[in-house]
Amino acid sequence: MSEPVLVRRRPRWLDVVGVLGVVAMGFTVWLGLWVTPPDVVQGNLARLLYIHPPIATVALYWVGLVAAGGSLLYLWPRTRSLFWDRLAASAVEVGAVFSALTLVTGSLWGRPAWGVWWTWDARLTSTALLLLLEIGYMALRRVPAEPAIRARRCAVAALLIAIDIPIVHFSVDWWQTLHQGGTVLDPGFDLHVHGIMLWTLGLGFLAFSLIFVWLLGVRYQVEVLQDAVGDQELEVSLTERWSEDTELVGVASGDRDPHAGGGAP
Amino acid sequence: MSYVDAGYAVALASLFVYAIGLVLRRRRWARALKVSEVPAPGADGVPGPGERL
Repeated sequence: MSEPVLVRRRPRWLDVVGVLGVVAMGFTVWLGLWVTPPDVVQGNLARLLYIHPPIATVALYWVGLVAAGGSLLYLWPRTRSLFWDRLAASAVEVGAVFSALTLVTGSLWGRPAWGVWWTWDARLTSTALLLLLEIGYMALRRVPAEPAIRARRCAVAALLIAIDIPIVHFSVDWWQTLHQGGTVLDPGFDLHVHGIMLWTLGLGFLAFSLIFVWLLGVRYQVEVLQDAVGDQELEVSLTERWSEDTELVGVASGDRDPHAGGGAP
Repeated sequence: MSYVDAGYAVALASLFVYAIGLVLRRRRWARALKVSEVPAPGADGVPGPGERL
């Protein structure tokens, strides 16, 4: 087995990250729902913006960074390791959850703000496409193949999916969209959010990022265990096959043995 | 329930359910690995490649 240590002795830092993520999330919810004042324009609806942009940031940038980076490092011959392949695959699955949540929380904000649950806006459509591509990647990963072939195939797919990330990011600049531009910063890096609202939003970014790291770590462990079980099953099959072959060889050599009986004298 | 409450509830509940699912998957695969572990070839009478009975 290649990486039993990562599975049998779970890294302590991962548990620390998980606990910190839960604590930060608790504070985000408390500040977002009860402490921060209603927005002058949006009223209480602005409270959704303490979770929607952080979720979208994870879905787009953190997942994109890990999935595309891991895939590139796998494809690069000098850094080729199944570690990068497994990390990228884990990021894509966690990313699909965050992409779906981006669409759902955005839709729940859009219904009262825009009057529609969904519109074929460039930002929304490219985000939905990202989710579909991530689901496609997961389907591709389930296609039976040698680990190296599967890894190469998935790395190429992840890099193709990554093309959608700048499209999502720049969609509000490239096309006329219903979705607003930068929520926190405009292109001139002027802040749109201030005071306790800014701190709550910042804490939201931290909370969802920590939760992402924890989910990624646990998902990676699942990936390692799955591969290890696959290796073990292959080993068992080979051992059984070897035993059968050995028995057959024994029987065949027994037939040729003149002292074994049954043969002509 | 307001749109704001629904948004928080959906986001937190989904992440919680996914996290629990991951922990259960990790436990199930760890158990499967333990069950599938076989003695090394050559040990306990298991012949290894190139080894005759």
